[in-house]
Amino acid sequence: MTKWVRYTLPAAAIVSIASPAYSMQYLSIAEAQKQAFPSATNFSEVQAGRVWKAEAGGRAVGFFIFDRVVGKHLLIDYAVALTPAGAVHSVEILQYRESYGGEIRSPSWSAQFVGKTSGSPLKINGDIRNSAGATLSSTHVTEGVKRVLSAYGNRLR
Amino acid sequence: MAIDCGNIRRARPLLGTFVEIQASGASRADVNAGIDAAFDAVAKAHRLMSFHEPDSDVSRLNQFASRHPVGVDPWTYEVLRIAIELHFRSRGAFDITIAPVLQALGLLPGPGEGSRDVPQARTAHQVELLGDRLVRFSGPGIGIDLGGIAKGFAVDRALDALRGFGIANGMVNAGGDLAAFGPDPQTVSIRNPVDPQSFMCDISIRNEALASSARRFDPFRSDETTNSAIIDPTASKPACAIQGTTVRAPSCVIADALTKIVMIAGTSAADLLEHYRAGALLVLADGDIQISSDLKDQVSLAA
Repeated sequence: MTKWVRYTLPAAAIVSIASPAYSMQYLSIAEAQKQAFPSATNFSEVQAGRVWKAEAGGRAVGFFIFDRVVGKHLLIDYAVALTPAGAVHSVEILQYRESYGGEIRSPSWSAQFVGKTSGSPLKINGDIRNSAGATLSSTHVTEGVKRVLSAYGNRLR
Repeated sequence: MAIDCGNIRRARPLLGTFVEIQASGASRADVNAGIDAAFDAVAKAHRLMSFHEPDSDVSRLNQFASRHPVGVDPWTYEVLRIAIELHFRSRGAFDITIAPVLQALGLLPGPGEGSRDVPQARTAHQVELLGDRLVRFSGPGIGIDLGGIAKGFAVDRALDALRGFGIANGMVNAGGDLAAFGPDPQTVSIRNPVDPQSFMCDISIRNEALASSARRFDPFRSDETTNSAIIDPTASKPACAIQGTTVRAPSCVIADALTKIVMIAGTSAADLLEHYRAGALLVLADGDIQISSDLKDQVSLAA
């Protein structure tokens, strides 16, 4: 039979495991490009660091656009893959960063993100955290995708 | 030749949140193909069961099922079947026909939005499953919202997709509702519903699912927690006695739905949890935590 066990958590104990920041590197730009367009043999830069044309056998198979939006406090890197006709093929999160608490202003805290690649995912307390309990909204990414579409959807051919 | 063994984590914006999928234990190509298929499954569930998308099964049901039987996808039919079973087993606490109430309270867009007269929740027995994936509502004025159960179902289908590619370990986390399979246990940090910027405990899971509900928390508007988006159908008003709950169950669809029931019924949901081989952690109004005996050993509390 299900019984219930009751605990009282001292407030200090709850705060003590609060993670100051969370960052997750999912895919590098190159990995995401390959994932979005497996058939592509070449990615030529249309706009430096931002827009690439995916090509296979000299033909465009799509476009890959790198963009950033602010999540709750910090930037989320994401990529939109467009079909040659300018429709969304896929949206992939490349790096997700969030802060918990007031550490956002600390330069040392921000510095920990510099130079991170997919080969060196940032770990908190030695472990990548699977977090649950409150849903984070992806509205800002959705809005970003719409902006990318209106900026590039008709211009890239 | 050595097998190129991938351990890959990817994330996409789906279901209004970030869906993160982690998989390992197969070739890198299979892991990536499996993750693609898993994201596709989540997107399909969203397309079918979104309240907001005009072409979804849910929208077509809300528009036409009071007039004539409407054919739906097998996935939608299955979610409806589970939802109706949960409605009866929870004595009405779980109710997918709450949509008109949510609209009146301004929590869902629709005709009654902001209305002063909050309608009574209909009961889910007014949703009739006719076989052959046909669904009919028994009268006018009925609207369904699968928001309390579809996300968990999407997570389960994503896990199926990963398994289909021979992946040994997989985990799908749809903004906090998650499930994992494979031999390796996964540790999940649970945010404190009273202070969502901190974590209150870790729960270790293996081959099972975990879902959480809390009083409403919109990280883009405010750090404050506000009133719950969970409505007690018998009272047609927000459930307030419990700050938040996390439910562990064999499948994510059941875990997801049970969180809504526990938010309303509290510890009196014990029999129902037992029926579904589920356990729960509750954060009470005074901040104390109650954990069901079968979940206790999986939880490591702060401190």
